[in-house]
Order: sequence, then structure tokens, then C-alpha cells
Amino acid sequence: MLRRFSTLLIGGVLLAACSSNNATPVPSAASQAPASQAPASQAPASAAPWDPHSVSGEVTIGQWSSSPAEQSALASALAAFSVEYPNIKVTQEVIAGDYRAQMITRFGGHNPPDLFYVNAEYAQDWVDEGFLQPLDEYIDRQGFDTSAFFPKYLDIFTAPDGKIYGLPKDGNTIAMGYNSDLVPTPPTTMDDLVNLATSLKGTGNLKAPMCLNPGLDRGLGFMYAQGGELVNADGTAEAISTDASKASVQWYMDLFKNGLGKTAADMGDGWCGEALGKGDVAIAFEGGWLKGYMDSTFPDIKWNFAEMPVGSIGEPVTISYTAAYGIGVDSANKDQAWVLMQYLTGPAGMAIWTGGGIAVPSRSDVPVPAGFDIIVKGADYARPGSGFIKGYNDIQKAFQDAFTLEIQNGTYSAGPVVSATAASITAQLGN
Amino acid sequence: MNESIDRAPLPGARGRRLRRGVAYALLIGYAVITCIPFGWTIITSFKTLPDSTQLTLVPDPFTLEAWDFALNHLQPSVVVLFLNSAVIAAVITLTNVLLGATAGYAFARLRFPGRDLLFLAVLATLMIPDQLRLVPVYILFSGVGLTAGFGQYVAVVLVGIVSASSIFLLRQYFLTIPVDLEEAARIDGAGFITTFWRVILPLAMPAVAAVAILSFQGSWNGLFWPAVFLSSDQSHWTLPLGLTQFRLAGGLATNWPPLMATVVIATVPIIVLYVFFQRYFVEGVAASGVKG
Amino acid sequence: MAQAALKRGRIDARAEALAGYGLIAIPMVFFLALSIGTFVYAAYISVWDWNIRSGPEAFVGLHNFQKLLSDPVFIAAIGNTLYYTVIWVPLTMAAGLFLAVIVNQKIRGQTFFRAAYYFPAIASSAAITTIWIFLASPDGLFNGIRGAIGLNPLFALFGYAPDHNWIGNYRTALQSVILLNAWTTSGTFMLFYLASLQSISREVYEAAAIDGANAWQAFWHVTFPLLRPAHFFVATVGVIGGLQLWDQAFIAGGPNGDPANSLMTIVLYLYNALFIQIDPGYAAAVGMVLFAIIFSATLLQRRIFGGGPA
Repeated sequence: MLRRFSTLLIGGVLLAACSSNNATPVPSAASQAPASQAPASQAPASAAPWDPHSVSGEVTIGQWSSSPAEQSALASALAAFSVEYPNIKVTQEVIAGDYRAQMITRFGGHNPPDLFYVNAEYAQDWVDEGFLQPLDEYIDRQGFDTSAFFPKYLDIFTAPDGKIYGLPKDGNTIAMGYNSDLVPTPPTTMDDLVNLATSLKGTGNLKAPMCLNPGLDRGLGFMYAQGGELVNADGTAEAISTDASKASVQWYMDLFKNGLGKTAADMGDGWCGEALGKGDVAIAFEGGWLKGYMDSTFPDIKWNFAEMPVGSIGEPVTISYTAAYGIGVDSANKDQAWVLMQYLTGPAGMAIWTGGGIAVPSRSDVPVPAGFDIIVKGADYARPGSGFIKGYNDIQKAFQDAFTLEIQNGTYSAGPVVSATAASITAQLGN
Repeated sequence: MNESIDRAPLPGARGRRLRRGVAYALLIGYAVITCIPFGWTIITSFKTLPDSTQLTLVPDPFTLEAWDFALNHLQPSVVVLFLNSAVIAAVITLTNVLLGATAGYAFARLRFPGRDLLFLAVLATLMIPDQLRLVPVYILFSGVGLTAGFGQYVAVVLVGIVSASSIFLLRQYFLTIPVDLEEAARIDGAGFITTFWRVILPLAMPAVAAVAILSFQGSWNGLFWPAVFLSSDQSHWTLPLGLTQFRLAGGLATNWPPLMATVVIATVPIIVLYVFFQRYFVEGVAASGVKG
Repeated sequence: MAQAALKRGRIDARAEALAGYGLIAIPMVFFLALSIGTFVYAAYISVWDWNIRSGPEAFVGLHNFQKLLSDPVFIAAIGNTLYYTVIWVPLTMAAGLFLAVIVNQKIRGQTFFRAAYYFPAIASSAAITTIWIFLASPDGLFNGIRGAIGLNPLFALFGYAPDHNWIGNYRTALQSVILLNAWTTSGTFMLFYLASLQSISREVYEAAAIDGANAWQAFWHVTFPLLRPAHFFVATVGVIGGLQLWDQAFIAGGPNGDPANSLMTIVLYLYNALFIQIDPGYAAAVGMVLFAIIFSATLLQRRIFGGGPA
């Protein structure tokens, strides 16, 4: 009984909130696979292109819970689908609470929704466990063109076996959100950024010039910009313990050491968007989700997105977050699910979905919603911010635990962070 | 002078009044502290979203937008959420009181082989975390068709039908009721069941009230199991499930005002129920029985 | 006649046993299916490399347990969980008993105080946790007050800066959660004690008063021992609940027990094993270790509270 009492209601709300904070994904471009495979798997008899309109029946679509604005954007897209495919009846399942835990429970019960969200963060893990249906057969049968997806988005859902397990429903890249009253011209290089932050120290009510996360979820973008790597080029070994990588971690940590950046928690804020909105910092590094939040919660603050400053590698780089639609191996209505998927991730469906002003397109042939130019521009040079190695959560955790200790103990040394992260990567790759 | 005279021989009247004053000041002081969270919830429900990020006491501007949203625009509507929560919580409360009292009585008073071992097994059920039970219970229930349609309600009720702590709490209380009473009834020829209904249960009202309050509250606020079994059909949602829709920035932030308005709506029934049942916490319900 | 009575006694004993089994039958069926059954299932899969969808992949014997006990994060989780329970249970019991005794007095506004003191137990944990975070944040009320009344030099002795982040710092995060939960759960414990206090007759106090006992002596020598069944209940349920600490840790520190594992608990670790690493066999092994810890603690408590039908 006590246990139930302590399961307090909002606890769940917050849990749910934490569990899917990379909610808004971005699309990516076609991988190499489809074209070469298309002829081989052309099993169905008809030589003419397969027509998705020929499918009828029912389909359930499972999604994590989100804001009413996001819900209505999806509802619009589903309404448009029903007009174009009147023979397919769509039922929405909003998986309230902890999406990841509940989906795994339903995979365990061989009872997943027909079509559902798959966050990039755990896509590879779900593929490994055999939860997801490969889509190549469907893609080839219809001749669905995946080339308009931003490649880095689609890659995340392409398994080492070359098969595609999800199509990105939308995507995001990390950009620099800056308070335009305090930062008249945004810095374009990391050196400028440091100079600017140094000059902003102690300005007005600022608690710090920048809000920074003590983990890879943002730190990885800075590492890449400063010439660091997490794993080697073919993803077979850790590369964070090279001198260049270590230096990039140290560079990021020195931002904390020199008082140029603080964590949101250390300023009493829930996340960096809140720190920017409250005027605790002048700069925060976030994705497209920052816009809807600032518009609704801090409408009086003047701010803008700018591209991530260019670091020592001399070319722009940032990190991306995305989520896809996937079909379960045990889903009951796979054909119907595919028809819905190809619509929602196709140019027409995605335009309606992203037209809601919340999500950012994962395809280059969908109009960019107002205010998201910088975010979409980043998709050209972004690298995946999660899910590119199996067991990424453990790796992130190892990095963040060690990084936090260094900051809170005031030792600010990259060494322990690098060795803890390297050990975790090695353990994951060895499994 | 008067004062010293007053004070010396009469530590009673004045000292007592002073002490009483201090005592009430402390009582009220702590009451204020305990009410802060609920007060903050109410205040925030009248704020705008920008204002809700400020730690201020007076909403500026004062707005009913959040209440309008909570009452008229929730998905599904607040009426549906409320009814689902109420029916599930009422059934679970009833079964916990009934099954808890009967089993608690058996464990406290009746002698049967293996009793202590069985009781330990009951306690052991509290030691298995829900997270570990989740998948096997889901597989079991989906195997018997309780993951769709009306079966979803049945699944949620069955998971909470009787908690080991309901049995435990009532058992502990029965242990404190003097045995003489029961024996007197038995000598009069009453059976175990009659004795239980006529004599023991009325004496155990304080514990019954506690179990009722806690079962209701646990079910009413529960998110873990309802999320698993009721998620897939919004018309089956309970209030805690409805509360998951106030997210901003892809889950990084929260739309506090409508969330707090809904929380107020969700909290009121528990307060009413608590105030109703705490009437049974009157001194000596059990003890006075001994006397009579 | 004596023989008749003996015979009747035997029938009574059998009827009593039957009544006993009958009364516990329904709950026992559910416990068997929904708890004990799942425990047996977990015990079975804990020696397997198990796929949550397709079942057994390889028999691994005790490998999951070896891996578990050699993981420093799990050791940290055990340490945090035990620390939490050892501090939180007595603290909350004392607070709950204290509140119960107070609102059991004949005081004006008794209903109001009873409701008010129960409030922390019902108010939404979003509201409570948010307020707690506000209060304990670097520029929050707590730091403000200790600065204003000049306590900062004292805190500095222990190494806490004037703008210390109580929940966000790994040194103080767990203590902050202990205090928060002691405050909220004290209302629930008050309820348990309040119910139990009703079984103590006024005459008992009157007798004590005649013997010349003051209020404190009466409480300590009369009330406190008479509440033994309630103590046993509250302590047992408290320890079982405390060793399964999960939600507040998750709210404050997320699934990874941030900052730096300071809020990593055993159940959180189990959650990670099951839903993030998707390793049911390993998660089941965590469950077995947790069960062993809780079960031992409960047996120990039975001993402390004096065996038998405590």
C-alpha cells in the first residue's frame, strides 16, 4: 500500500517528461540500401508499382504524450490521411506515462501498436532485440523514394545489416539560442564565443554567460567542433582517449571552470531554455523545441537562433536528434501501418505535420516552417547526437557522471571523464 | 509586584494559558507549512504560463484560462477522466476493505496450520517491485484478453484488488482488540463470521477508515498500472493519465497553470474522503467496547 | 460431559481452520498469480540471457549475479538505498507518531489540523517537488535564510558554499530527498498511528495519572509500548517501501540517478536494466538481490519487535 501511496501522481508526469525529452526528431536522406535491393525483393506478382491505395483495414498508431499543439498537428495530418486513404481507419494510442518502459512491456506481450514512434536514442537497441520490422520490402515494393530524407537522420535507423527499420518523422539539430538584447551579433567561431562569454561575465542579472549541460547531450557537439571524437570512423573502437579528443573534452570543461557556463540546475532552472527565458544566461544550446517554449512561456524575451559557432576543425558541425515511425515484428496490421507511415513521412503528410509549427521536417523537400531555418540548415552538416552506438545511454551516463564529479569537486580535469567514457564504450562494443 | 505574586503561587492559570498560546502558534505554524504546496498549486492555476515561472504569490494577471482549459479542453474531457478514476478507485477501496478485513482477521485471530508462514508470504508480496512484475503481469493479462475493451478496467482493478498492506494494517489492529469481547460473543453461540461482523469489525473502524483512505488515494493517484493497461484507449483514461498532456518543448518543460488546475480538481475528492473518514479516528472506539 | 466438551473443541478447531483458509483464499489466489508467480518467473529467468520478446537465448548460470555484484554502480545503488532507509524510516516514524499524538488531543480545530498535517501526503508530488527545488535551489529560500541569520560560516565549515545547490550536488542530493520524503510520508505514518491510538483506552491514562506519571512518562511508559503492533506495521512497511525508493529519485535525478549516481537506487538500477539495457535476466537478478535484502530486513524486524504475533 505504501508503495502505491508513494507513487504520486505528478511523479509520473515528470517521469514521462524526462523519458522522452528528445521528442522532436528530424528526417534524413536515403541510405545506400534501397536502390540496390529493390529488384531482388520484388516478391509480389504485379510488375506495376504497388499502389498503397489498394490497402484497406485498420491501423493503430502509438505515440508518446505531448502538448496539445503537437497533438493537433498530428491530428491534422491524420485527418488528411483519412481523406486520401478512406479505406483505412486510424486509431490513435497515446501512450501516457513512461513511453519507453510501456513499449518494451508491449513488445514483451507481443502486442505493440501497428505503427509507433521510435526515438533515435534507442533505435539500435530495439533493432538488436528484434522488436522492429525491416522496411526494405515495403520501400522497394512501392518504390518509395527515401532520397529526400536528410542522410544522417535516416542512417540512425539503418542497422549494421543494411536494412532500414524506421523512417524519420521529423528531426532537430542543436543551434545557439541567444538573447539578442545582450548579444547583438552572435559569435561565429568558438574563439569568438569564448571572448563574448568572457565579456558578458558579471553583466546585469546574468548568473552565467552560457547555460551548458554537463553531458554528451550537448557536449558532443562542442567536442566535434574542437576536433574530438567518441568512436573511430567505422564505429569499432573508442576514440575519446586520443589526445585531440581529450583536449576537446578539456576545452568544454574549461568553459565551466572559467565561469563562462553553468548547468541549468546550478542556476535553479529546470533546463537551459528556462535559464535563457528567465534571463539567467545570454546563450543556450538547444534544438527547435526551444522556439515553441520561448513563444509560449517567455514571449517578452528577445532572442534568436544562430548556427553553432565553428571550432578548431574549421568547418561547421552540430549534433542532431530524430525519431522515426517503426512497425513492430508483432504488429497485427503491417500493410496498413506501412501505408500510414509512407504518408506521414512522405512530403505531403510531413508538410502538414511540421506545418503545425512544432516539429521540424526530416526531408529536404518539405517547406521549412517559420523560425526553423537555422535548425534545418544544421541538418546538412549535423552528426547524430544519440543512438549511433548500441547502448548509448550507458556511455552518456559514464561521461556525465564523471563530468559532474569533476565540476562539483572543482577539479576540472578531463582525464577521469575520458577514461570512464572509454571504458564504457569498450564494454558496449565488446558485448 | 502583583506580577511576582501572581506568578509564584499560580503557575497554573497564566502559565497554562501562555503554554497553550505557544502550542497553538506552533500547531498553526506547521499547518501553514503543510498547506504551502497545495496553496502554490491553487495560485499557479490562476496564473498565465509566463507568470507561472515566477515565484510570486499573486497571479499577475489573474486569469481563468487554465481552468477553462482543464474544464473544457482536456483530451479526453475532465468528466471522463474523473468518472474512470472514481469508479476504479471506489471498487479497489471496497475490495481492499473487505478482503483486507477478512484476511486480516483470519491472520490475527484464527488458528490454522501454516498461518505464520502464509502471513510471511503475504508480506513477501510487498517486496517485489512493480517494475519487476510489470512484464509478466502484462503477458498474463494479455493472454486472458484483459488488454482490450472493458477488460482493461478489469486488469487495473485486479492488480489493486487487495494489497498486502491492507491485510497487514487490519491484522495489526485486530491484535490490539481485547480477546474477551470475542469470547463473550462465542459463548453466546455466535460463529466466527457472526462474531467478525457483529463484534470485531465495528471495533476496527479506525483501521478500516485508514485502509479506505489509503486505498482510495493510492488508486486515485496511481499512474504506473493504469498507464500500462488503459493508455491505448483514451476513453478509459484516469486523471493521472490525463495529467501527462501538459508538456512543452518535447517534454523538457511543463505547462504549469492547466496542470495545476487539473491537480486541484484531482485533489479535492481525496480531501473530502479524508475528512469524512477521519471522523472514525475517535478515541476509544475499540476501548469503549471493552468497557461495555 | 468432559468428553463432549473435548469433542466440541476439536470440531471448533477444524471449523476455525476452515474459516481461516476460507477468509484468506481470495487474496492468496491473487497474490499467487500476480506477485509470487512473477517472483518465481523472475527467479527462473535470472539465470538466463533472456530476450523479452522471444524468451531464452542462453543459460548463463550465476553470470548475471556476478556481473551485478562487480558493477560499482550497483554497489553505489545498494549503499544509497540502505543509507536512505536507515535514516528515513526512523525519522519519519518519529515525525508521524509525534503528529498523531498531537492531533489525537482534544484540541480546538482538531479536524482542521488532522487534515492539514495529512496534506503533504496527498498534495501532488509535482507541486511538492517543484517547491522543494525552489526552496533548495542556489538562490532559493533556504540559502537565503541561512545567509540572513548568519549561519553561513557554520555551513562553510562543512564545505557548503553560500549558493550551494542542495538537490543538484552529489554530496547532498540524497539527504535532500530523505528530508522531502520524511516530510511528505510523515502524514501517512501519522494516519497509521492515529488509527492505532484509538485502541488505547482513556482509562489507561487515568490509571497512569493516579500513579503520579506526568504526560511524558505516561506516553513513554504506557502509550509507546501499547503501540507495539503499530510500530511493527509502520517500521515493516516503511523499510519495505524505503528499500524500494524510486519515484522521487527518478523525478529529481532521472533514470541515471544524477547527479553522479547519488540518487541511484536499487529499483532505479533494475529499471535501467529492464527498460534501457533491455536485459530481463539481469533485471531479474537485481530483483532477487533486492528481495533478499528486504526479506532479511523484515525478518530482523520481526526479531526486534519480538517474534510471534507482534
